[in-house]
Amino acid sequence: MKTSTAPLPGTASDREEILRHLPEVARAAFHRFKSGGDPAALDPVVFAILADFIPSDSAVPLAELPGNTRLIDDLGFDSLAITEVVFFTEDLFGITITNEEIIRVRSLDDLRDFIRGKVAAPAQH
Amino acid sequence: MPPLPVITGLGFITSIGHDRSTVLRSLRELRHGFEAVEFFGNPSLPVKVAGTVKGFAFPSPNWRDWHWPAQFEVDRELLRGLAPHGVYAVCAMQQALADAGLTPADLAGGATGLFCASAGSPYLLGNFLDQMHATRGERGNPMGIVSSIAGTLNFNLAAHYKISGAVCGFVSACASSSHALGYAMDEIRLGRQSRMLVVGAEDLTAESIVSFSSLRALSGNPDPATASRPFDVKRDGFVGTGGAVVLVVEDAALARSRGAHLYAELTGWGQAGDGHSVAQSHPEGAGLREAMRRTLADARLNPADVDYVNAHATSTPAGDRSEALALQAVFTAAGAKPRISSTKALTGHGLSLAGAMEAAFCALAIDDGFIPGAAHLVEPDPVCAGLDLPRTSLNEAPRHALNNSSGFGGSNVCHLLRRPT
Repeated sequence: MKTSTAPLPGTASDREEILRHLPEVARAAFHRFKSGGDPAALDPVVFAILADFIPSDSAVPLAELPGNTRLIDDLGFDSLAITEVVFFTEDLFGITITNEEIIRVRSLDDLRDFIRGKVAAPAQH
Repeated sequence: MPPLPVITGLGFITSIGHDRSTVLRSLRELRHGFEAVEFFGNPSLPVKVAGTVKGFAFPSPNWRDWHWPAQFEVDRELLRGLAPHGVYAVCAMQQALADAGLTPADLAGGATGLFCASAGSPYLLGNFLDQMHATRGERGNPMGIVSSIAGTLNFNLAAHYKISGAVCGFVSACASSSHALGYAMDEIRLGRQSRMLVVGAEDLTAESIVSFSSLRALSGNPDPATASRPFDVKRDGFVGTGGAVVLVVEDAALARSRGAHLYAELTGWGQAGDGHSVAQSHPEGAGLREAMRRTLADARLNPADVDYVNAHATSTPAGDRSEALALQAVFTAAGAKPRISSTKALTGHGLSLAGAMEAAFCALAIDDGFIPGAAHLVEPDPVCAGLDLPRTSLNEAPRHALNNSSGFGGSNVCHLLRRPT
C-alpha cells in the first residue's frame, strides 16, 4: 500500500493539482483566462467549482440557471460548503477573500461578479 | 428486570470480508485477510504485512480520488467530511441497518443513540496540519477538523442519520469500541435508549499503522500466513488492520416486538484499569483479570459457564503473556476450561475497531453455532499451559462467549454474550 500527500498551497504543483478534479472545459477556460485575461473565461471555472462543492447535485446544470439563483436557499449550499468554495477559489487564483466579502455573495451573479472583480485586482493581501 | 440488550444487526468492512457470509466463512475456515504491503513506498521498513481492506482505495487525502466497492453508496454530501475509516463505517452501517430490518427513517425520534470509536485519521490530520504550516495558518480545508480528529465518526454519522438520541465517541485506544459497546448496553439497561448503534472503525494507512513501529509493537515477519500468531512462542508483534464494524443493539422487547432476528443477548460487561504503564500491559494481566471477573459478576455467571473466549491477544510477546496469565487466574484456577482463540490471527489488530469487530464475531459464533479456531498457532507459548486453544474451528455452539479487549494505559474491557433464550 502506498499513500501520498497532496501538494501544499503555494507550491509549484499546487495549481495544476487543484485543477485536476475540474472538467476539461473548466481547466481549458482557466488557462485561457490566465494567458489572455479574458474575464468571460472565468464563468466556466466558477460553475465548475460550484458544481464540485455543491452538497447535492443540481437537477439543472448550474450554467443554465438564472443569475439570481441563490446559493443557500435555492442550491442547498451550507456555510461549510461555501467556505470550501472560498478556500478553493483563493488557492486557485491566489487571492484572499474576507468573511465580510463572502457574506455579501448570495447569488450566482453575485459570485461571478465578485470573482471577476477580485481576480482583476488580486494584490489586496 | 431491566431491559436486556440484544444484537439484531451486523455490518462488516474487514480484512476478512465485507459481508456477513464472507466473514463467517473466513472465521469457520480460518482464512486470513493479510497481504504484503509497502508503506510510504519504502522497502526498507520492517513492516511488510497488513490486514488489507480490499476494494477500497484512498490514494490522496482528496475524497474525489477515493474508491470503494460498487455495492455501497456514499453520498457526496457525507463524503466531504469523512476520513477513510468513515467511508468504511458508512458501508458497514448500510449493511447493519439492512441486516436489522431497519431504514434510516427508523432511527429518528430520539429513541436511537450512536456510540462510536476510532482514533481519528492521522492521515487526514497530518495533511491538514501540513497545509496549515505551509501557509502559516492562512489556509486550511474547512472540513479538516471534522474529517480527521477522534470523534469524526460520531460527528458525521449522527448528522447524516439524524440521530437525536445519545451520541458519543470513545477513546481508549484498543479498548475504545469495547467501551462504546459496554456503555451502549448500559443505555439500554437503564432505559435511556431503546436502540443503540455501535461503530468501531480505523483507517488503514501508513500513518495509522507504521506509527506503532516506533513502539516496536509490529511484527517484522514478512509472511502473511504466519505474521499474526497470537499465543505462539514465535510471535513477534501485531499486524495492523483497518475497517469498520457496526452493531445494532436493541432492547430485547423492542426487537422481539418487531420480529427482528436476535444474534445474541448482551448479558454483562465490565472494565478495570491496570494502574501500571502507559503503553504496556500489566505483567500478570491484573486489570484484564479484574475486568473479566467484573463481567462475570455483572452477568451472574461462574467461570465454568463460559464456553468461548475471544481473546484480545494481538500477537505481541508481552501482551499475549499477560492475557494468558489473566485467563489462567480467572478460569484455570476455578477449574474452568473454555475454548480460547484470538481472531486477530486472521484479521490483524484493528485498534479502536477491535472490540466491536470481535464482539460481532462472538455474535456470529453464537448465531451460527461454531467456535473460531486459534489460527496460525503452531507451538503455544509455555505460559499458555492449561488453556484450551483449538487449532481449528469447532462445530460447537457456545452458549456464553466472553470478548476481551485491552488498550493503552491499561484499559481493559470485557463483554459477555449469550445465545438467545
